[in-house]
Amino acid sequence: AVVSTQSTGKDNCPLYVATDPTEDALKMHFLVHTSIDVIEEKLSSATAANDPRDLYLGQLYPNEDYRIYGYVTNTKIKIVVIETISNPLKDARQVFSQVHSAYISLVCNPFYSPGETITSQPFLQTVTALMRGKAIA
Amino acid sequence: TQSSGSSGINAEYGEEVNKQLETMGYNIGVRLIDDFLAHSPSVTRCSTLEEVAEVLCKQGFKMFLGIVPEVRNWSSAKDEFSLVITENPLAEYVELPPHCQDCLWYSNIICGVIRGALEMVQMDVKCSFVGDTLRGNDSTEIRIKFVKILEDSLPAGED
Repeated sequence: AVVSTQSTGKDNCPLYVATDPTEDALKMHFLVHTSIDVIEEKLSSATAANDPRDLYLGQLYPNEDYRIYGYVTNTKIKIVVIETISNPLKDARQVFSQVHSAYISLVCNPFYSPGETITSQPFLQTVTALMRGKAIA
Repeated sequence: TQSSGSSGINAEYGEEVNKQLETMGYNIGVRLIDDFLAHSPSVTRCSTLEEVAEVLCKQGFKMFLGIVPEVRNWSSAKDEFSLVITENPLAEYVELPPHCQDCLWYSNIICGVIRGALEMVQMDVKCSFVGDTLRGNDSTEIRIKFVKILEDSLPAGED
């Protein structure tokens, strides 16, 4: 089950964090923060020719209790999803592309400035529903 | 009192923005009408307000916004009607922030366009929003009221 999702802007400040209440939010936040280092490393080492711009980075690093997945958009928005080992996601790519779509709709709102913390209800609802494992239409 | 104070400021702000939007729309409308008529050879002089409403929705809106609003709620004197818009392309993806929720008509530019365009064909109308789904209302509705036919006089100043 997904226990935490975080989106970070291109200067690595958090735009949005959501954590399942069963988990320690601070710990999740810390895990996500360290995983940004891993993302940056992957980004700088990957050659432009190889990888498609919408980069699904897969599992970022091993951890005994959790799986951490990363995804970066061509505008350097990073999305990190953490889930428990016990109930693994069947398709992490799906989750990422749905968060990405929600982000795209958010950015199209003229009242939202990129880089602002995300407070938009539709975005929050989408991510919360994704975290509960419900499919989005 | 604090909240009513801030909503007072918001209301003023909203009014200012709504007015600006209407003016922008007016400036567009007075020019748009020529474009519309040039590209709609089948449109002839309308003799009733009903015909105006029909051309406005089925041809005007269709040409420039790709939508056809519904004409509803005619007054008994047939001098007033509503346009109900189901899918407003201007408002796609828009989420009004809380301070705009009660005072801003986001698509008010449309009202200005209608007023400006009709003025150039000698029709004086009042045009305003009465509801907007962006603000949580049931429907997005513009009320148009016929005022008078403008006699051929000096054109109004485009301030």
